[in-house]
Amino acid sequence: MDSMKILIVDDNADIRLGMHLRLKASQYETFFAADALSGVAEARKHRPDLIILDLGLPAGDGFTVMERLKQVPFLAVIPVIVVSARDGLANQKRALDAGARAFLQKPVNDAELLAVIRQALGVPARRERPECYDLGSV
Amino acid sequence: MTKPTRSTSELPAYLSHELRNALACIQQFGSILVDGLAGELSGEQREFVGIMLENASKIRRVLDSTLDGTESSPEERAIRNKRVSKLET
Repeated sequence: MDSMKILIVDDNADIRLGMHLRLKASQYETFFAADALSGVAEARKHRPDLIILDLGLPAGDGFTVMERLKQVPFLAVIPVIVVSARDGLANQKRALDAGARAFLQKPVNDAELLAVIRQALGVPARRERPECYDLGSV
Repeated sequence: MTKPTRSTSELPAYLSHELRNALACIQQFGSILVDGLAGELSGEQREFVGIMLENASKIRRVLDSTLDGTESSPEERAIRNKRVSKLET
């Protein structure tokens, strides 16, 4: 079975790398974008099964990305999980109203993130493989 | 990181955001090490990373209790405080 594809949209390169390592160990294939514009472009290009989206981004923000995704039918159906360092009280409801499946405030517990991803994808738990060092494209 | 030129009212939200991003990296890479995703650690190495992670959690709890809600409106904060006081009674 092909790996499920996850697009990580976050302007922090360290966060992208950490998520890549964690998700790859759970056998997900990852793609990356560091700003709002390329987030939408990468979603069009790779058609991921799920998007992990930061809110504070250059060239727009996470809400702009969700708005643009909603305008394209094949992108509108992709589940989005917002992972942000922004205040949950001020942003959680807004993110969910904008169409996000979940809002997680950084720092995120890995087990919680993986559980939310599995729930959004409707897949059972995967076993982690502790051997992955492909850092090239992060 | 750019030097903040923010008003006093914006500073807590700025601090919360920046500290949460830094903590997210510490927690993320600490758990990657503990879980052996970057190679197996010795018992002592695992213990030391565990101490780092415990202290990162402490900082998170401080953030949650002091700076969370700083981007929200006075009305939203009032609702949260009401919920908290309800839980405490």
